[in-house]
Amino acid sequence: MSEQNTKSLKKRGKVTIDEKRCKGCWYCIEYCPTKVLQVSEHLNEKGYHPPKLVEEPPNKVCIACHLCELYCPDFAIVVEEIK
Amino acid sequence: MNPMEEMRREEEKLLRTDRLPHVWCPGCGIGITLNAFLRAFIRSKMDPNKLVVVSGIGCTGRAAGYVNVDSFHTTHGRGIPFAVGIKFARPDLNVVVFSGDGDLFAIGGNHFVNAARRNHDLLIIAVNNFTYGMTGGQHGPTTPTGAYTTTTPYGNPDRPFNIPHLAISLGAPYVARWTTYHVNQLQNSIYHALHKKGFRVIEVISQCPTVYGRRNDMKTPLEMMHYFQKNSVRKDDASFEELELKYNGKIVVGVFRDIQGIPTYEERYEDIIRRARK
Repeated sequence: MSEQNTKSLKKRGKVTIDEKRCKGCWYCIEYCPTKVLQVSEHLNEKGYHPPKLVEEPPNKVCIACHLCELYCPDFAIVVEEIK
Repeated sequence: MNPMEEMRREEEKLLRTDRLPHVWCPGCGIGITLNAFLRAFIRSKMDPNKLVVVSGIGCTGRAAGYVNVDSFHTTHGRGIPFAVGIKFARPDLNVVVFSGDGDLFAIGGNHFVNAARRNHDLLIIAVNNFTYGMTGGQHGPTTPTGAYTTTTPYGNPDRPFNIPHLAISLGAPYVARWTTYHVNQLQNSIYHALHKKGFRVIEVISQCPTVYGRRNDMKTPLEMMHYFQKNSVRKDDASFEELELKYNGKIVVGVFRDIQGIPTYEERYEDIIRRARK
């Protein structure tokens, strides 16, 4: 693997979900390349199941690709890069 | 700060956040298109005070109500005439028509054709979801032949509009088609189109799982997205037949025309004023 690739893999992100805006289409869960999101059991105030983070982080970590942010039709996801 | 986080913060400023969550159904592609448009606009570093978003009636027409810039929600089909008026009165403004297929091609079809012919300096983002979503899923001018809708329960007998080909034949300088699956390409395409002049048309194939998908074996938003994912092919020099949208067929995406140097109507009009004053 080239140096640049290992460098980009080291990026880590923090996903924040605005549950009030979420309408449960689950595009973020489907198109996350590392599958850090899953469907939660609880409902939000509109009656949809918002996504939540997968609990075991050593294998599944957010790599701050921002794809969930781009796919979210409801402007409900913010990804912050952790240094 | 990271540029993507900066963009997200700027995007919140361009949205009327007090009106969110918006009215669009779960999984509707209009939100994705609006997201791509706002991000492309932020990347272009243009002045938000010089942006006008005009939309017509329909689901996509609601987009003008969610942007925190000068916007206007016009009567049905009259997004383009209104935008032409803005451009004539204030040529320094950047006018974007953000509307749906029923608004731009059914009742506003004549305006689209004539504005494209005259090459007005407008950016048209046409969200094509194959149906009239807001009124309950009737068939429209972009419904593919054979598709099932509330008004065509045995399959649609009409041929749909071939929007990119129509725009190319009228001499539009920038014509592109993407689906809501192509989030990055769509954003780049809008970004490039914002920097060009003339009648720029970007057709966005969008999903309507609520009234179109459920009658055509795609009940969930994800099933519609998988359809776009599996069936879209990029081909920039596609022929007329390839550009046609077939029921459950391939969707040819890409930038079909990108030329420069055609004088816009506003430029030609200024030239006439100059000559008349001599």
